[in-house]
Amino acid sequence: MKKRTMETSLADYSPRLIRSIERRLFLRQGLSLGALALLAGCELTDDEGVQRLLMAMSRWNDRAQGWLFNPNRLAPEYPESAITKPFPFNAFYSEEEVTLVDGKDYKLELEGLIREKKPWTLPELYGLPQTSQITRHICVEGWSAIGKWSGVRFSDFLARVGADTSAKYIGFTCADDYYASIDMATALHPQTLLTFRFADQVLPPKYGFPMKLRIPTKLGFKNPKHIMSMFVTNEFPGGYWEDQGYNWFSGS
Amino acid sequence: MKSLRACVATVLFVAGSGLYAAEIGKPMKMDEPMHGEMKKKGMKKGDVKKAAERKGQEMKPAMEKERAGGAKK
Repeated sequence: MKKRTMETSLADYSPRLIRSIERRLFLRQGLSLGALALLAGCELTDDEGVQRLLMAMSRWNDRAQGWLFNPNRLAPEYPESAITKPFPFNAFYSEEEVTLVDGKDYKLELEGLIREKKPWTLPELYGLPQTSQITRHICVEGWSAIGKWSGVRFSDFLARVGADTSAKYIGFTCADDYYASIDMATALHPQTLLTFRFADQVLPPKYGFPMKLRIPTKLGFKNPKHIMSMFVTNEFPGGYWEDQGYNWFSGS
Repeated sequence: MKSLRACVATVLFVAGSGLYAAEIGKPMKMDEPMHGEMKKKGMKKGDVKKAAERKGQEMKPAMEKERAGGAKK
């Protein structure tokens, strides 16, 4: 029995529907592209030109999703009994290639439009007020799983370090070379957490030790693991999958 | 008997930890195809590192400009 909190969110849609929406968006973008190509006399075999056009349309899509985003709408939360066991591992590499970060030497680096750029050690981060959530991780691949994450409310952390919350983006770089970014409204959402624990244990390496950003209002690939640094900026930072054509906003 | 049980538990824990450590943290084979269903045909694991380095270079001027702007405040 899930605890309904507010209106509809990403978790209310079935994975099949998410894939179907992605396909529809792709088709719609393709049709629009055809129309634009006819109007502009654009050469569709010009890969770079087509890619640029599609990226521009995707950015327009991001803006529309940003306007529609309701910062007060909460993702559903679940009871402990609904937790998926075992929780799936998912990455662009195999489980045995999971990056091992040494917690003793770890320091979270802060850059960009942040007043206090002092790096944070794990004991310092663990010492901040923590909260937990049991939410559904929804993957663009078509599966979902419920897990329990604990950590610091990201908005609290941003306030503590004096981040410029009027800036547009927050970018992340990770120990496994992955990089990602999110919009400020999502960063300030009450359920966006900087997590250090999974299922009441220190975050295991395969789920992102030492730190994973958990955003239940966004698709799984917008939840970076093994975070090593973060920066606040007004320059669009993109993300690995987003730079390959996946929708950047990817949330509700 | 208690100490024997403790000893067995310790051995199992240490063996388990060793097994766990051996199962993860292997170097990533950069020239192998990516895992998962998000990849496009031909994508390799090493592509992520290359893209991250490119992105770092692309973002550098803007970040430096913002850093300078922030420092003036």
